[in-house]
Formats: sequence, C-alpha cells, structure tokens
Amino acid sequence: MMDLNYKQFFEVMPAYLTILDRDLRVIQANQRFRKDFGDFEGRYCYEINRHRTEPCQNCPAARTFQDGLRHGIEEQFKKVNGQEVALIVYTTPIRNEAGEITAVMKMATDITEIKLLQNQLQESRERYRHLFEEVPCYITIQDRDLRIVEANRRFREDFGEVVGSPCYQVYMHRSEECVPCAVKETFQDGQVHQTEEVVTARGGEQMNVLVSTAPIRGAEGQIKSVIEMSTDISPIRRLQSQLTSLGLVISSISHGIKGLLTSLDGGIYLVNSGMEKNNPARLKQGWEMVERNIARIRTMVLDLLYYAKDREPALQWFPAQSVVEEVYGVVRGKAKEVGIEVLTDIDPMAGDLSADPKAVRSLLVNLAENAIDACRVDKRKSGHEIRLGVRGSPDSIEFQVSDDGIGMDQETREKAFSLFFSSKTGDGTGLGLFISNKIVQAHQGKIQLESEPNKGTRVTVKLPRRGPMSRAASSKPS
Amino acid sequence: MASRKKILIVDDEEDIRTYLSSLLGDQGFETLLAKDGEEAWKQVEANPPDLITLDISMPEKSGIKFYREIKAHERWNTIPVIIVTGVSEDMRKFLSSRHQVPPPEGYLSKPVNREEILTLIQKLTAVP
Repeated sequence: MMDLNYKQFFEVMPAYLTILDRDLRVIQANQRFRKDFGDFEGRYCYEINRHRTEPCQNCPAARTFQDGLRHGIEEQFKKVNGQEVALIVYTTPIRNEAGEITAVMKMATDITEIKLLQNQLQESRERYRHLFEEVPCYITIQDRDLRIVEANRRFREDFGEVVGSPCYQVYMHRSEECVPCAVKETFQDGQVHQTEEVVTARGGEQMNVLVSTAPIRGAEGQIKSVIEMSTDISPIRRLQSQLTSLGLVISSISHGIKGLLTSLDGGIYLVNSGMEKNNPARLKQGWEMVERNIARIRTMVLDLLYYAKDREPALQWFPAQSVVEEVYGVVRGKAKEVGIEVLTDIDPMAGDLSADPKAVRSLLVNLAENAIDACRVDKRKSGHEIRLGVRGSPDSIEFQVSDDGIGMDQETREKAFSLFFSSKTGDGTGLGLFISNKIVQAHQGKIQLESEPNKGTRVTVKLPRRGPMSRAASSKPS
Repeated sequence: MASRKKILIVDDEEDIRTYLSSLLGDQGFETLLAKDGEEAWKQVEANPPDLITLDISMPEKSGIKFYREIKAHERWNTIPVIIVTGVSEDMRKFLSSRHQVPPPEGYLSKPVNREEILTLIQKLTAVP
C-alpha cells in the first residue's frame, strides 16, 4: 500500500523527477518528465536534458554520487519540443540497506516564469538606475538630517563622492543649513518645492541651479527621504544677466550722455559767442570744453566695450606706482567722509608695466570702493583702514587692496566674481567685481580674494609686467 | 537802473556751470555757482537768488534733498526752482506725485534747449 502511494506521488509530483544510476543513466522518470523530455530508457541524463554527448561539468548528480550529499544548481534544459526551460535542480542520494549509494534522485522544478520575472525586474531596475545615473541634471536623495544618501553619476562627477555629507556643505560650501531649505520643507509638508540657488562644484565653478524636491514615501505613506533634482540653468541666467546688464548700462549711458551733450553744447555756445564778441579767451575756453567732452565720450565708449567683450586693452607703459597714487586721490575723500582712513603701501621700486592704464585704474577704484563699502557696513568698530599697495617682481606687478571691514564667508567669496551677485543687499549692482575680473582676464593676469568674516578682505591682482602674451610685441620704449 | 536778477546755478559739472553762467550772463543775469546742495545752501543764505537751476544727481548733497529742504524753508520756499537734469522723465512724475513738496516751477531735461531755458527763466523772474 505504502509502495503504491510513493509511486503515485512520484508520478504526479509537479516537478521533473528522475532516478539516475552511477553512469548518469536515467533509470526512472515521472510522468511530467516523460511528457516534456520523451523516452528516457537507456539514455543518459545529459543526453536527454541538455542534448549533450558528454556529462555536464559540475553535474550535481555526479557530486552526490561522490560525496553522498544533496546538491542544488540552476540549469537550463531543452525539452523534446526544443523549448528551453530554466530549472532549479536538487539531487539526493538513494542508499541500499548497507548504506551504499545505489542511485541518485534528481528533482527539477521549472522556474522559467520566476526567472522571467526576475529578469524583467532586473531590467526595470537597471533602466531606472540608468535613468537616475545618466539624466542630465544633479540628483541626490537626502535623509532628515539633509545628508546625501545617494547621488547620481553627474552629481558625483561634479561634486565628488559625497554620500554621507550634508547637502549644504557639498552644494554651498556652508557650515549651516540654508534658509529656507526646500528639502526640509518637503519633509515637513510632503509637497514639491522649487527654489533657485548658486552652487559651487568641487572644481570651484559656480552655477545657477533650479532645485526641485519631492518626497519618497515608505509602504505606509511616511516620508522616508527626499529626492532633490537640480538643473543647471547658468546659460539662461547668463543671458538674462547680459540683458539686464545691458539695460543698466543703457540707463547709465543715457544719463551720462545727456550731461556730456549739455557740456558739448556749452562748449559750442562759448566758441560761437566768443567769435561773435571777438573774445579769444571765451573762444579758447569753449574749445577746451569741446575737446574735454569729446575725450570723455571716447572714454565712455571704450569702457562700454568692456561689457561688450570687444575691447582689447590699450596697452602702454606707465609706472605702477602712479596708478595707485591716482586711485588713492580718487577714493580718499569718499572714504574719509565715512570715517575710513586710506593708507598706501607703495614699493617705489615697483617699476613700469605694460597695461591699459584706464582699465587698471577702473579696476583698482572698483576694488577700493568695495573695500569702503565693506568697512562702512561693519558696525563692530569705528575707524576702519583700507590699504592700497603695489610691488613689483621681474615678471609681474602685484596690486593689493585690503580692508578690515566686514569680510566674506566662503559662499560669498566663491560667488564674488559672478555677474550680478551682490552681497550689498540692494545697494550693489553685482557688476563691479565681474568687470574687475574681466579686466584682469583681458590682461592675462590673476585676481585672488582672501577674506574672513569680521576680519576683512584682501584682493591681490597680479598683472604680467610686459602685458598679455599675444600683445607682447609692444616693446617698452627706451 | 533796475538791479540784475540773480540766478543760482547748481550742478556738479563744471562745464555745465560755465555754460549756463555764460548763457545767462549774456542775457543780463547775474549768476552764482554751486557744485552741490551744500554749497547751494551757503549761496542762498549769503546771497539770496531770484531763481535756482538745480541738477539732481550730485555726489554730495543731492538735488532732491536740497529741493526738499528749500521748499520746506519758510524764508526761501518762494524762490522759483528749475530742475535741469539728465535723470529720466520718471523723476518729474515722481516729484509731481509727492504731496509733501510742491512741484518745481520748471523741469528741463539735459541737453537743455537754450531758447526754452531762457524763456522760462525770464518768465519766472519777471516783475509782476
């Protein structure tokens, strides 16, 4: 009775069951096996299952014959109709009364469907991973402490391997959270938030990014983490900045031109009335006025060309010391009014340099005016100092403008040269340092900013003594 | 012989002061000069003018500040003021919209039209 039951079970089991002898010949097979793999009698298992002429490597049945243990393996079988099926195969020894292994039972379960689903899941995962990695924007996933728990390839490339670091440190080089923080807001209300930021990549490059955040929820709807996606919109902002810059410039030029035209008109009036009245002194005065204002128009146009990127520096040799003294004369009065003393630190042996004197003057006036502003807003103390310095080396001239004003944090330092970045909360246009940087670049020089909050700022401008390389042909007059 | 009318020209541009001074001097006016609001106040107190031409954008005390102060002054608020400026027309609308101060007697944009400024000054300084 028991025998009959085992045989019945063997026959109807929803798996492929076979009994193999030591030669791996199939000596018994159940109904399902016979149906899908056909006649088995006298044939080898590898012949039936894999259509091979020799035993398979790593054959679990052979191993069971060897070590008497159960073995499992995933295999691909080919049915009699040619269809491939994925199977999970287990082998187990059959022993005689003396305990010797006389045969091995092999049970193979069809896992083709599971395999298919597994493959689809894997593909789907890979697709999402690929999308996450390759999407042309920065993606991070952050926890409640704003720590980055995952970042896509583009983010890692531009900001470094930063998993575990707080977002504000990596993105903004700040030591404290941003206010407001879109990720925090999403954690609080579960909504999508958008903001625009200026971030700094690990190479120091600045970019304007549009940041969007969205919640990632767990099975019970609780917010587990927040995904932050940032798109680089620097090219759009640059264009916008250029247009705004153009607007400001046009407004400023318009005001300047009106004044210049009035002065020119005045010069013409004096020339004409001087001739009519036969008054040479008035005529001379008028003509000088005309000449002076034509020169001012010329300067204005040349300055404007810096904005338009068209202007090459008008190189000439001049003493480095003279430009610092000139700038000192320009800013001293303005500084004194607000209780700031301007000091000079001039190396009399600095010598001459080949540069555009007007551009260098504008650059230094701009830096000095920034220094005045930095002192003016510093209410910690009264009686600030600004130093204008110059020194020379055989190949270069180094100008320095330093102050003991309010100073800048790392974020402000990094953004200082960006167009339209201003830390002067409404008082600044954000043009000054951008143009200064541009003047330095046009001279193939270097500008360096050192600053610490509440300590002050030092800007060092190093210009090649003999001017930019492409224009080095201009030789120093003897 | 009637005394010459005194015009105070307030402008930070020396060339413009010279120009207006010559133009008005040629028409028989006496001119006083000031390069900003501070100097203008000193002139007004030392030598009260019959009319002031006033620039807006000046580095020290601006024209707006000076204008507000003189129009609030009980003794000098009757001196006619012509604003002569390169600042956009919006400033004229702004000044007219401020109820704290009366609108200026004249508002001319730079570059000024000679006939226009002379006609306006003659009208405003004419004895009624």
